[in-house]
Amino acid sequence: MAEQTRRKFLGRGGSLALAYALAGCGIEGTLERAQKAATPIPEITHKKVPIGNWTFSNWPLYIDKDILKEFDEQYGGHVKYLEDINDNDEFYGKVRQQLTAEQPIGRDIVTLTDFMAVKWVRNRYVQPLDKKNIPNVVKNLVDNLKSVPYDKKRDYTVPWQSGAVGIGYNPKKTGRELNSFNDLFDPAFKGRVTMLNEAYDSSGVTMLAQGVDPTTAKIDQILAAIEKIQQAADSGQFRRFTGNDYSTDLAKGNIWVAHAYSGDIVQLQSDNPDLKFIYPDEGAMLFTDNMMIPAKAEHVYAAETMMNFVYEPEVAAKLAIYVNYLSPCKGIKEIVEKTDPDIANNPLIFPSDEIRKKLHPYPALSDADERTMKEAMAKVTGA
Amino acid sequence: MSLNTRRKLLPWLFIGPGLLWLLLFFLYPLLNQASVSLMTGNPEQGYDLTWAFHNYWDAISEYKEQFGRSILYAGVSTLLCLIIGFPLAYFTAFHAGRWKSFILLLIILPFFMSYVLRTVAWQLILSDDGTVVSFFRTIGLLGDDGRLLASRTAVIAGITYNFLPFMALPLYVALEKIDPRLLEAATDLYASRTTAFRKVTVPLALPGIFAGSLLTFIPACGDFINAALLGTPQQYMIGNVIQSKFLNILDYPQAAALSFTLMLFILVGIFLYARLLGTRNLTEAAI
Repeated sequence: MAEQTRRKFLGRGGSLALAYALAGCGIEGTLERAQKAATPIPEITHKKVPIGNWTFSNWPLYIDKDILKEFDEQYGGHVKYLEDINDNDEFYGKVRQQLTAEQPIGRDIVTLTDFMAVKWVRNRYVQPLDKKNIPNVVKNLVDNLKSVPYDKKRDYTVPWQSGAVGIGYNPKKTGRELNSFNDLFDPAFKGRVTMLNEAYDSSGVTMLAQGVDPTTAKIDQILAAIEKIQQAADSGQFRRFTGNDYSTDLAKGNIWVAHAYSGDIVQLQSDNPDLKFIYPDEGAMLFTDNMMIPAKAEHVYAAETMMNFVYEPEVAAKLAIYVNYLSPCKGIKEIVEKTDPDIANNPLIFPSDEIRKKLHPYPALSDADERTMKEAMAKVTGA
Repeated sequence: MSLNTRRKLLPWLFIGPGLLWLLLFFLYPLLNQASVSLMTGNPEQGYDLTWAFHNYWDAISEYKEQFGRSILYAGVSTLLCLIIGFPLAYFTAFHAGRWKSFILLLIILPFFMSYVLRTVAWQLILSDDGTVVSFFRTIGLLGDDGRLLASRTAVIAGITYNFLPFMALPLYVALEKIDPRLLEAATDLYASRTTAFRKVTVPLALPGIFAGSLLTFIPACGDFINAALLGTPQQYMIGNVIQSKFLNILDYPQAAALSFTLMLFILVGIFLYARLLGTRNLTEAAI
């Protein structure tokens, strides 16, 4: 008798689990959220509270760790610094469920690239900033980044660093100087080339090679560019499609030509002085990584204090010397010149106005177009 | 409560925690993903359950190449693991003497280090200007422009290396259990050493071979680290596709459908394999 009821109980429990698993059906989308969120922001005030233990997520090798130590000493508390962002999409994929479920993601600052920042701002996965807590940012942010289409008044985002996507190569291996993105497709380098797997980057530079302006490109032009990449990939032109991880292959000489980020090459040059980075004649892609405070983050004031701290010119200069990307903070070239004149004169870190004009921002695509592009690119990269 | 009921309840008490664990962390996620695999939609509008069984068909027809590759690579690696692992386990079980524990420690040692890190190390070892490649070039196994990294060879070698302990350890356990007197008896009855090996050692080691092959083949089928780090898109396995569908494209239904299809393939494979080797081995291998 007892056994029978137990079996019944288990049976009921099982079917309950089944019903629950099937009934709560559906995975919430982001569209509704984006529409709800498109309301004006009220006046924001974040109280000054002790810093406490807070968390900062960033890309690998993207900070001089002394800056974190100095911050802890000056403001108290402790910053847990995670180098856990290696790919915008992958990071988003990891935390998306929590964000849509209105749960904290356990990080107080995340640093994401423009096209991903668009999505976070649009869906209000981020919190508006209290401008009174970040006076340095208001004062020192370079003019050309003061307003971006997805965050007109920088209410949610603070640029961390910008960089260019161009070509990194080893002239000794290629046997000639490169000057165009068409060189990525040169059959002479077959199997010795890597391309970035990020669809915005790869389609962007291919369009530049095709003479199309990527910033205003339509989805058809983007797909045509991806088609060109597909053909080259099928013929074995590209050794791999990579994130930041082309660096080992390039430094080791496994590849000769890499579709690469400017700052990476500056860092790799210290290991392998033969390496060169070029802004091709057609121009290059420009990206900015942005600090944002995720929705429901606990230590808002700590995050803002850090944002403010890295916009003190001395700190920003130290950061630029270490990471070798384009700094978004005004007036630091003079500071860097005093200690590291080589860096101050390096066009990869402080490019001339002429080069700056040739840097193209990413296009602003609709969600549907972005998905079409990503799916097309995923087919090329084989996954 | 009577003694009788108590006696009947006791086993449930023991099995309870395990059962609960299975329900919560195995059955529930599994059912959840099963329902996800039948949804349609997109990341903006969300996904709704529409009983879209065509997800499965779409997934298989679009990615049959990667499925085939996964099974081929995992199969070849399992075979290689067996070829390398059997002599290793045999030697350890019968001839290692006082070195036995040391050799076992060596087999387990790689686990003290992260899986990904070990695979990255192979990137450096196999690099185009490295010693391994230049050695192979000198002896003429590789052309002057040949490479090991970013090739099928590298991926299969990586999988074989990473899963070897999973094969060697069950083999060792099975061989260790063999009573040497059985072999003596065989030779007493005029069996040559090869015949004794073939008729006594191998059949008694079958449960180990069975367990080792499963422990190697199943995770190798779903592996994506080796293909991602040591291969190119031409070597990507189904694991790479599932990972990218889940994390980059956010196409959860197709990712789930692919996962279930892979699971089905493996289950059918195990079933056939068990048929071939006899089900008794399956239970023995589990012990």
